[in-house]
Amino acid sequence: MKPDDPDILWVQEPELGLAGRMYMPMFVQGLSTTLKHLAGSLRGKQVTVSYPDEEPQLGNPLIYRGVHRLNRDEQGRVKCVACFLCATACPAHCIDIIGVESPWPDREKYPESFTIDELRCIYCGMCEEACPVDAIELTSLYNLTGRSREEMIFDKEKLLSVYDATKDKEPMQSTRLGGTL
Amino acid sequence: MTTAALIEILVKVILLLGGVMTAAAYFVLLERRMAAWVQDRVGPNRVGIPLTRIRIFGLGQPLADGVKFIMKEEYTPAHVDKRMYVLAPIVILVAALTVFAVIPFGSVLPVDLGIEGLSEPIRLVVAPGMDVAVFVIFGLSSIAVYGVILGGWASNNKYSFLGALRSSAQLIAYELPLGLGILGVVVAAGSLDLEAIISAQATSGWWFILAQPLGCVVFVVAAFAEAARLPFDLPECEQELIGGYHTEYSGIKLLLFLVAEFLHMITAAFLIVILFLGGWHFWGLTGAGEQVGLVQAVLRVMVLSGKVFLVILLFMLIRWSWPRFRFDQLMALAWKVMLPLGLVNLVSVAILDQLRTAWQLDAWWSNPLLIAANWGICLLAWIVVAYAQPLIADNRPQQELELYDVDPQV
Amino acid sequence: MYLSGAAHIGQAVAGLWPELAGGGGLSAVAGSGLLAALPDWRVLVQSPTTWGLVCGAVALVLMLPRGSAVARVLGGVVGLVALGLLAAGQPLLSDWLAQGLFWILAGVTVLSAAAAVAMRSAVYAAVWFAMSLLGTGSLFLLQGASFLGVATVVVYAGAIVVTFLFVIMLAQPEGHATYDRLTWGWYAKPVSVLAAALMVAVLTTALPGIRQIDALAALGESGAVERSAGVLHPSHMARFGAELFSRELVSVEVAGTLLLVALVGAIAIMIQGRRQAQAEESAR
Repeated sequence: MKPDDPDILWVQEPELGLAGRMYMPMFVQGLSTTLKHLAGSLRGKQVTVSYPDEEPQLGNPLIYRGVHRLNRDEQGRVKCVACFLCATACPAHCIDIIGVESPWPDREKYPESFTIDELRCIYCGMCEEACPVDAIELTSLYNLTGRSREEMIFDKEKLLSVYDATKDKEPMQSTRLGGTL
Repeated sequence: MTTAALIEILVKVILLLGGVMTAAAYFVLLERRMAAWVQDRVGPNRVGIPLTRIRIFGLGQPLADGVKFIMKEEYTPAHVDKRMYVLAPIVILVAALTVFAVIPFGSVLPVDLGIEGLSEPIRLVVAPGMDVAVFVIFGLSSIAVYGVILGGWASNNKYSFLGALRSSAQLIAYELPLGLGILGVVVAAGSLDLEAIISAQATSGWWFILAQPLGCVVFVVAAFAEAARLPFDLPECEQELIGGYHTEYSGIKLLLFLVAEFLHMITAAFLIVILFLGGWHFWGLTGAGEQVGLVQAVLRVMVLSGKVFLVILLFMLIRWSWPRFRFDQLMALAWKVMLPLGLVNLVSVAILDQLRTAWQLDAWWSNPLLIAANWGICLLAWIVVAYAQPLIADNRPQQELELYDVDPQV
Repeated sequence: MYLSGAAHIGQAVAGLWPELAGGGGLSAVAGSGLLAALPDWRVLVQSPTTWGLVCGAVALVLMLPRGSAVARVLGGVVGLVALGLLAAGQPLLSDWLAQGLFWILAGVTVLSAAAAVAMRSAVYAAVWFAMSLLGTGSLFLLQGASFLGVATVVVYAGAIVVTFLFVIMLAQPEGHATYDRLTWGWYAKPVSVLAAALMVAVLTTALPGIRQIDALAALGESGAVERSAGVLHPSHMARFGAELFSRELVSVEVAGTLLLVALVGAIAIMIQGRRQAQAEESAR
């Protein structure tokens, strides 16, 4: 960086008048802003959410990135085709898939086991984007808790049960596959 | 000294220490709630009576804080100078508490307990009639500097030591404007005794904030700096610089430092009220003389505490209204702005006081006239200083940057 | 009030060793100068104050830094003996509270002063010095000289020793300077301690009224009250200020001018240094 770089725009500080030099406008301005917020808070206009006494309002639950789920197709089978694209895309290497030959005619492989380490996951949503069949999705469940590390490694059944629990509230997102979005 | 008088002093000491320490704890809670409210949050409101679900607005929080600080691991780094490390918080707390020996927390209590040797009426100050009370406060605040320096040095850590230098430089620099602000009051009241200063304001009815506005501004600014409150909290400055002289402290020793800082704020509030806001005096409510009934005596205590509470509220509001000064701005404010303003105030007050005696002004209009003259002088001085020494600095790089090896990529 | 120094000493000796003053009376001793004012050697030998001073000097020599550990312990023991002897020479005050406070404060003052000398680390020495000054200020307060007491704390402990601490800490973060380890020869310690002991001895004997009770008894009850009335007067500070700015005006102004000159000198030196640096910069 050079001082005479034409790309640098030097902003001149505004010239202060008498009142400004005597520090008075700053005094009034600062204190009035503080008092405004204070009065607002005392009238109950706070932004704090007293979780768990009250539930937080998510801005848009459909794009919130919470606990994962594995979607089922119309016949109730797991939708995943064990292509490993999500595991490859995952920056945290938290997805572990064992793919075996599929018993169904419509695809070659299916996951015999599909585990996600929810403690390693950074909830970036790249698995969701990578999935070619929209099998893995992130739900709006934010209160993920557990009593041990082992409990937080979600296997296929657990992930499918997350789908069962959330499918009514959050339908599958792809319109092509019967979702609403 | 009789035993009764000794017990009287002990009772006053216990009452005052208990009151001040409890007040400090609850002011911490109030400060946290205020901080939350100003930032549109709720703040600590959940700790109530232990083992029940009663919350009472979080009034149990100070207790929980205290227990937390005491139960915390008290970690002493291996590289510190152990004895000085332990001594520093004790010095600073003792200095902060001893100040309250000369600060009146009311006027007098006209009760006759019928005990021989008890002074009657009871004066509501631990060391009554201390002729050099203002001076004692100065001495003890300079002792508090020891706690800061020793704490920083004993930590044997560059950042702690730099923090100690930073804050002791600030404390020493702002003692001058503090003294100049007090001197104007002392000249006008004719005494260094805080009780006498209050009664001087009560008898004339003109609080010194009205009589010496500039002195009040200088004193309040200096008191903020001495108490290390924002916007002058360079000693701590936890967001930008490292925590300062108590970086290496934890547990109960850190608590002592923090309590001492809060006590400094309470002392500053008491001094502002006593020196400039009339102490226990309020027009038409408390009377002015030495002879008071019980109701008036209690009213005086309440008026004084109420004023102190309001000033502390102001401290907290200001904390959330201003950004912190940079260190050079801090020093410029002390030496180039506050010092001249304080001198102008002192000289103007002294001259006007002499004029009053010389011309024997004792008509009803003489007080307002002299005060108006002082206001005029002060306003003029403020304008001159504001133009001569604007606090707004041009922050653009002044030197030729080519002289330095600047990476063009940056 | 305007007696010469020798007369002061004579008066003090009369207070400390009353056997001597018994015969000739005060004025005779006061008039005959310093040498004549020295007490008889038998009185000196019998007085615990003398032995307290001697023991104190020995203890200080033993306790000076860089001595052996045994010597330091021995010095501490001898120092305690010295304190006891000095205390035995002091009269008892009438009030137990005043007596207790006096013993505590005097003990703190003397012990911290000794510690300031005996400490290895310069920082510790400065802190002990400040402690000793606090004790001195408290002793002044105990005597009713509130201004003097607080001024001692503000000026010495609050300003001067803090500056010491700054310099020591900035110059030698570990608290030991190399020049501390230099030896000045075997005679340095004894000579300095002897000088200190002699000074303390002269000051102790020179202080008038060290035997408070005798002095007060000589003055009488009304005299004692009258003497302390000046200090304990409610407007003592106002009177003190008036005195300072009327009778002692010249001294105050001279002291102020001296400080101003020092200030201007410091600024001048700084500006000169900066100019020099600028000249060197441009020459390069």
